[in-house]
Amino acid sequence: MSIRRNILLGGALSALAVAFAGPVAAEGVEGKSICYITAANSHFYVTPANEGAQAAADAAGVELTIVSEEFSPQTGADQLNSCVSRKVDGILLWPLDANSYLPGLLKAQQAGIPVVAIDTKAGEESMKLIASFVGADKYGQGQISAKQMNEALGGEGDVVIIAGQAGKNTTIMRTDGFLADKAEGINILATVNADFDQQKALVVSRDLLTKFGDQIDGVYAEDDAMAAGFLRALKESGLDITPVVLGIGGTKTAFDAINAGEMTSTIMQPPFENGRLAVETLTKVMAGETVGADVPLENTVVTKDNIGDYKPAM
Amino acid sequence: MPASLKTLGSLVVRYRLLVMLAGVLVFGGFTQDDFLTLTTFQSILDRAAVVGFLALGLTPILIAGQIDLSIGSVMSLAAYAAIALQPELGSLPAAFAGLGVGMLAGAINAVIVVGFKVTSLVATLATLLIGASLALLISNGQPVSSADPMFGLALTNEFLTVLSPRSALFIAAALVMFVWLKATPSGRNLYAVGSSMPAAISAGINVNGYVAGIFVLSGFCAGAAGVLQALSAATGSPLAGSALLIPAITAVVIGGTRLEGGRGSSLATLGGVVALGALTTLSEYNGIPSYTQAVYTGLILILLITLDRIAGGNGGKTTRTLRSAAVKQA
Repeated sequence: MSIRRNILLGGALSALAVAFAGPVAAEGVEGKSICYITAANSHFYVTPANEGAQAAADAAGVELTIVSEEFSPQTGADQLNSCVSRKVDGILLWPLDANSYLPGLLKAQQAGIPVVAIDTKAGEESMKLIASFVGADKYGQGQISAKQMNEALGGEGDVVIIAGQAGKNTTIMRTDGFLADKAEGINILATVNADFDQQKALVVSRDLLTKFGDQIDGVYAEDDAMAAGFLRALKESGLDITPVVLGIGGTKTAFDAINAGEMTSTIMQPPFENGRLAVETLTKVMAGETVGADVPLENTVVTKDNIGDYKPAM
Repeated sequence: MPASLKTLGSLVVRYRLLVMLAGVLVFGGFTQDDFLTLTTFQSILDRAAVVGFLALGLTPILIAGQIDLSIGSVMSLAAYAAIALQPELGSLPAAFAGLGVGMLAGAINAVIVVGFKVTSLVATLATLLIGASLALLISNGQPVSSADPMFGLALTNEFLTVLSPRSALFIAAALVMFVWLKATPSGRNLYAVGSSMPAAISAGINVNGYVAGIFVLSGFCAGAAGVLQALSAATGSPLAGSALLIPAITAVVIGGTRLEGGRGSSLATLGGVVALGALTTLSEYNGIPSYTQAVYTGLILILLITLDRIAGGNGGKTTRTLRSAAVKQA
């Protein structure tokens, strides 16, 4: 499950504020049916994505059946099989692990049903059977964060990385992207896993502040919830330092922190937009149009300078 | 008329699975144009296989008046072992290692229940907790992906039109167990153990041996469920069985096997698993959230057990007690 957790729930519609020139639903798919195997029914990121998918389906006139895996890839694998045997015209899948969906994906291929993945990539073998992936470019988010860090620190300084769950695709991408583009002079003091959880980030940040204290020039938190956790710990510590703090997501908390000057920047990842774009991409595939193997969400950096132009993504 | 109500009740109870399946099929046929197809049936049977093995292992346990709560945790351990050991052992031996993990866990349950004389509810509650944590500890909380994802894929392929290899295995296992329970002396003795343990002991039945044996069998079945699940998904998840204990118990009870012991059948379990699978598939076709579906399942359970009581049943401890009470009054 590579979805960021425990960020405050925000208005889904605000995602529309993001300037976005995405594809529009294809013609000629009216009356067709799509099976959407979503990660969960009730979740701060997944729910607005589901709403976006529903909105796009309504706009295109396709019938959308949503089934929820409740974060269990086994449930999802069974649901994928049952969607295939129902002979729907297209399947939108939220993969929760690398291989669990392979049997169903093979059956979908045999039945000629196109599958598009949303938010998370499945394993290599699975992705060969998936027409397109629609979601944030997480490696790009890491690269952008590195660029922000380089600029804010003038290419030199000691930083800590507060990473997501070990082994998760999102964590690996965001870490690798950052390490690839960070300046030579940026020294990584420590990389700790806080599982995209604000509370865990608070605990690890207390340790980091105790150990490194005013040595910390910058903090790269792999999502806004963990950035918020660090800021809490910093306040508690009473240390008189203002390190560069970067987050990802675009939550309301992050917006408040940027306005208050506690946080340097975040990157918008609007869930409603993700769901909408995924269904639009799938309808294009169903209509026989060619789409890219990767349909990334635009990564928009929000800083003190442009924050007035945007509304929180969540 | 209470009498005719009773007759209707007993008919519904006796053919509860057919009534439920018919209900699902009629409703499915009305709400979905393409519900009544062979592919639907194949998908129902295929999804029934994994929880089906858990339920099969549980059937003799319940017949003997015991309970095994650890099956979900044991399944997780077996599923993880079947994939995590692949690099060292190879794909096929790792699968057998998964079965071995299941049997070992079952043997541990047997020792605690028979050797240490701990009630099976408490003993397997303990092994449930230990097994679930152990799976997470060993795996560091992360599922392991198979390096050879194509190895187990054939398990879910189409087989004889309405089956898949794994659902065929499940149905075959249910038939073998049916023959064992109904047509062999050892199977029939098991019913005696569940009906009245003191009576079984005085009849010279090796009660301890039977109880130990069925716990090992239950562990083996949980191992089989884990291995099938892990291979067909090419993933060994430490949470593979964590959510399957309750569906398995539900399927066995809906099938008509009594928690009180002394009554039950593996074919009824087969029916219960398939009926629940059909209900799940129908819900998915209609986009009904899974938590709504749990409400139906609960209501069906209450309805069936209540009808069972109204109709009087034809065996089991409760009715036997009632019968003897009635005899005393007469």
